[in-house]
Amino acid sequence: MSITPSPYGFARYLGRDENHDTLAARNTRLSRGQVIAVEIKRSEQNGSFQRFHVPYEPRMRVLDALNWISENEAPDLAYRWICGSKMCGTCGVRMNGREVLACWEAVEPEMKIEPLRNLPVLRDLVVDRTPFEKKVASFEPWIERRKNYTEFPEALTHKEMKDAAKALDCIGCMCCYSACPVIRLGAVTDFAGPAPLVQLGQTALDPRNDPAKIKRSLTQTGIFNCVSCYKCEEVCPAHIPIVSQVIEPLKTKTARLLPHLAKHSLALRAVVAARGRVDPTALLLRVQGLRVLAKIPRALRLLVRGKIDPIKTFIRVKTAAYAAAHRILSKGPELE
Amino acid sequence: MKFAYYPGCSARSTCAELNEATHLVARRLGLELVQLDSATCTGARELRAIDPAAFYALNIRILALAERERLPLMTVCNTCTLNVLDAHAAFVNDPSLAKAVNECLAPEGLHYSGRTRISHFLWVLYEDIGEARLRGLIVNPLSGMTVAAFYGCHITRPPLRYGFVDSRNNIALERLAKILGCQPIDYSGRTECCGFHTAAHDEKVAIKLTGQHIASAKMGGAKAMVTPCPLCHTVLDGFQREIEKDMSEKLDMPILHLPQLVGLALGLSPEALRIDRHMVPAHALADYAARDPNLIGKP
Amino acid sequence: MRKITTDVAVIGGGAAGCYAALCLHNKGIKPLIICKGLVGKSGASLFAGNLVLSGRLLGNTEEQAKNTAEFLIKYHNQFLIDQQWARRCGEWIEKNYYRELEEAGLYFRRDDEGNIVTSPGKIRSIAANVQGNSGVPFMDLRRKQILRAGIERLEETTATALLCDEDGRVGGVFCLDILNGEYVVVLAKAVIMATGYSDRLHVRSTGTREMSADGIALAWRAGATLVNMEMQWWHTNDAAYPPSWQRIQIYPNPMLGSEKSARMVNAQGEEFFNQQRDDPLAFGPYTVQLKALAKQVHAGKASYEGGYYAGFDHCDPKEVETYTTYAKPFHQLGLNFPGDMLETAVTSHYRQGGIDVDIATMRSSVPGLYVAGGVGGHSNGLIALATYDGFSVAESIANNLDGIPSKDIPQQSIDREVKRLSFLRESGGNGLSPVQLKEKIRKMMWKKAGVEKNESDLRSALSDIEEIRNHVLPDVRIMNKTKSVNYEWLDAIDAVNMLDACELIVQSSLERKESRGPFFRQDFPLTDNNEWLCANVLKKSGNGVRFERRPYELPFFQPGFALRDNLEVPW
Repeated sequence: MSITPSPYGFARYLGRDENHDTLAARNTRLSRGQVIAVEIKRSEQNGSFQRFHVPYEPRMRVLDALNWISENEAPDLAYRWICGSKMCGTCGVRMNGREVLACWEAVEPEMKIEPLRNLPVLRDLVVDRTPFEKKVASFEPWIERRKNYTEFPEALTHKEMKDAAKALDCIGCMCCYSACPVIRLGAVTDFAGPAPLVQLGQTALDPRNDPAKIKRSLTQTGIFNCVSCYKCEEVCPAHIPIVSQVIEPLKTKTARLLPHLAKHSLALRAVVAARGRVDPTALLLRVQGLRVLAKIPRALRLLVRGKIDPIKTFIRVKTAAYAAAHRILSKGPELE
Repeated sequence: MKFAYYPGCSARSTCAELNEATHLVARRLGLELVQLDSATCTGARELRAIDPAAFYALNIRILALAERERLPLMTVCNTCTLNVLDAHAAFVNDPSLAKAVNECLAPEGLHYSGRTRISHFLWVLYEDIGEARLRGLIVNPLSGMTVAAFYGCHITRPPLRYGFVDSRNNIALERLAKILGCQPIDYSGRTECCGFHTAAHDEKVAIKLTGQHIASAKMGGAKAMVTPCPLCHTVLDGFQREIEKDMSEKLDMPILHLPQLVGLALGLSPEALRIDRHMVPAHALADYAARDPNLIGKP
Repeated sequence: MRKITTDVAVIGGGAAGCYAALCLHNKGIKPLIICKGLVGKSGASLFAGNLVLSGRLLGNTEEQAKNTAEFLIKYHNQFLIDQQWARRCGEWIEKNYYRELEEAGLYFRRDDEGNIVTSPGKIRSIAANVQGNSGVPFMDLRRKQILRAGIERLEETTATALLCDEDGRVGGVFCLDILNGEYVVVLAKAVIMATGYSDRLHVRSTGTREMSADGIALAWRAGATLVNMEMQWWHTNDAAYPPSWQRIQIYPNPMLGSEKSARMVNAQGEEFFNQQRDDPLAFGPYTVQLKALAKQVHAGKASYEGGYYAGFDHCDPKEVETYTTYAKPFHQLGLNFPGDMLETAVTSHYRQGGIDVDIATMRSSVPGLYVAGGVGGHSNGLIALATYDGFSVAESIANNLDGIPSKDIPQQSIDREVKRLSFLRESGGNGLSPVQLKEKIRKMMWKKAGVEKNESDLRSALSDIEEIRNHVLPDVRIMNKTKSVNYEWLDAIDAVNMLDACELIVQSSLERKESRGPFFRQDFPLTDNNEWLCANVLKKSGNGVRFERRPYELPFFQPGFALRDNLEVPW
């Protein structure tokens, strides 16, 4: 990733330079001698924030600030770190509302530091990893070979391993798990969460793995609860394209191996093939069937406002869009 | 300024008001839109997951249609935008994929060579029309309208791709609101997710996610919310009654499509902009409509 | 207090400990892993950058095979290694190591055509997923293998003492669960010490947060003989700042798919080290690098604490970024890559020495206490060697398990440890906090037992240690006496171990009156193969140390000189 000017329009990144939020700016914003104001959430003060003032040193990381605080002011501050090099994934915290690795992220002039979300807090910034570990374990995250292993090296290409290899960059830091809004809803869904799914992806997307084994793991993912908000990708310190290179390929496998779990997606495909465009009512009918009738009051409201058009839904007109979709969805391009 | 225009599925059905408003506002802004009528759905989120080949073909087809017109492509839906951006990037980076897709499009006489510029209406305002020209066209500054911008995920994330940045840096909508005379408010839901993409099979996620955002906007004093995505609009507006029931709280928050907000500042009437078609009534916003009958007008 | 009974207690969840546990499990023996951090996430194993190809693997020529052996004995161990063991180890690695890992699912990085990507040269290596990060998927695989096997793990649990029966035979481990502050007594027929290569006893150290030489301290207190405690590596290319990045290395090693390695320049921009040119036979050129740096320091053109730089400015970015992670620190700092260089400094690295091991049986000198991996004084610095140890120790224990007598651990040794630890937690002193004490110890070691040692500094270090033990440690102040997640308490426990280990290192450094490889004595600058091609053996004697020397045999490789200025020796 070299630093070159973006070929894309400026409207998308209007605020970045003004907020001094490029990587270069984050590292040069402060100078030695300046003081950083740090507030840290403490368990034993009823979750209130304790304030510290930390002298800045060049290239200071959040972890350096925590270490300074521990050595100089609050020796009882509880926080985890092990490697300091973005490999162990144990120093995840939230800084100014954003999930970061303490060892990797540059300090900001004012910092509010809290523990990761969606996980029980053990003390101060130390969270309980068990929910994440349990979920990963439930997937049985190892390969079971279809064919017997013969000798080293086995036949395998990077192309076949592309998605799994990206998932292998995961260090289990749980930042994505903390950022996920669906996980934050707790028991409302059975979504496993981005972090466990990336861990699953390491083996589920491995071509050497037995599809029967993969199928078993995929029954437990709740994967279609992913709203594709990309918050996981936004915070991932390893820059894993979690949605497009892990969750979507896992959805693909799920649709193939367990189609009953992918009804909505398959229905959408069918609607596009039948009409070229998606008529939301048609889609709902296909997915929810007669259950839609339970929502008569809403349907009536939508009808009154003209938001649904039953005539259009039930009388299909063959448009050019339909013709194209029908053709392409019957026989699409052959990708490698 | 001429654009190939792809309205997407929502703007042709559930949110047809968006399409009408877009055409109206485009004329005022001097944007000539060539609507791509034979363009199909981009596949929302579902198609790309379960049928990647078809996903690429359908999206590249849209880009090829625009390329045939030798025009840049304008979109008005976040998910459509990200889909075509992703398809374009895949096309450009993978020659074998490009070849296979073009072979698939050939029977229609279509061919893509990777040249279409993709721009959401929000970006067109900044990059093609420009702030100065836009200011010049405003006849009805919306003074006093506190508005909460709801960006939606797919034109703000994932970062590091397509020029997207860490979403906390997004200010395009707030800055635009200021140009239009509004007062944008800060609130926790700005760059959060509405949950639309699981709404068809499980509404409760969308309801529970979005409820917090609307409540937060209300607490921040917003009189309306504005969003550049009809899918977000469908949840924010279309589901608002269900959200109120879930939260046991009245919200009554009008939700505007981006072109509608722009249109109001350009002097167009709420009726012309089809704000009446929304599920949540927006009578309160009539106060901000242009009073001068000479300004309200025919497109 | 919890009491758990198992067959074998494995202290340490790194490459050696995990593999030992897996091998034991496969033999129907029940292991229990005690890990101070998290299995697969702590310790030095995580840092494995890439994996050396030994023997005739993957198209290695006869010459490359020989080079690998020579590299291990000469460059990695300065002849302080049992060459027959090294050969056995190399043979095992060639036959079993890569096979076992790949069969279990480890992904050795391929290209799109399916060839395993190697770094070319006199010694070749490959990577697990990506170079610079091989340890991560490697150890994660071990973690998952252990999960699959249902092997019991105590994580974020520190071993604080070995428990011995009345005959002095090790029969258990006393532990503290850090998260809930509970004591755990593990009773076992055999205990494997597998706490690893790193100790974190200097201001700048590649040792991770939790390291405090526990394995050395616990073994010594139980009466184990140690060896070569003064032999210690130093990294030369670790980021000079910020302090938390002292483990981030600008790898000097050959890169996958490239003919280049990182280069180093002094304060004046003069290049003084490039592995491809200056040390092509060394796969990990740390010692030769250190010597090159020493010369720069002596010429006033660099310091051990910085003032020199490393980088890839002579490379095409694609060469570095395709198969390695080495560009990541540059990017994170917003620097230009590959144009910008990073200021670097030395960091204390792996301990070559450690617990003295009978390599035929993997036993320490204390009955019941076995050794595997880096904490042993027999092997150095490669994850493959640690894995071989895991295999060896499991074989040995399996062959002996039936013959192991089981006598009870006297209750008073358990009570004694409870008292000791509780006393530490309730410390009512007014002095330094435990983390400040640890920093004090590290500063002392950095200053007086750093890269260049001499008698006067070392003796001063000994009196500092005495002073700390007698006056500073008893006055340590613990602010919060809660039981759960109390890192202050943990740090106090660690500090005691650090002091013990530091003392042994300093005394051992005084004893070896020569310089050898990374061990520099200013007052004895020559490498002395007449007197010192020997193991420097430390035996517990009352409250002190008795030294012995044990020469190494030289069946395959010989140094070829008797005396030479260490800085001029090419290894």
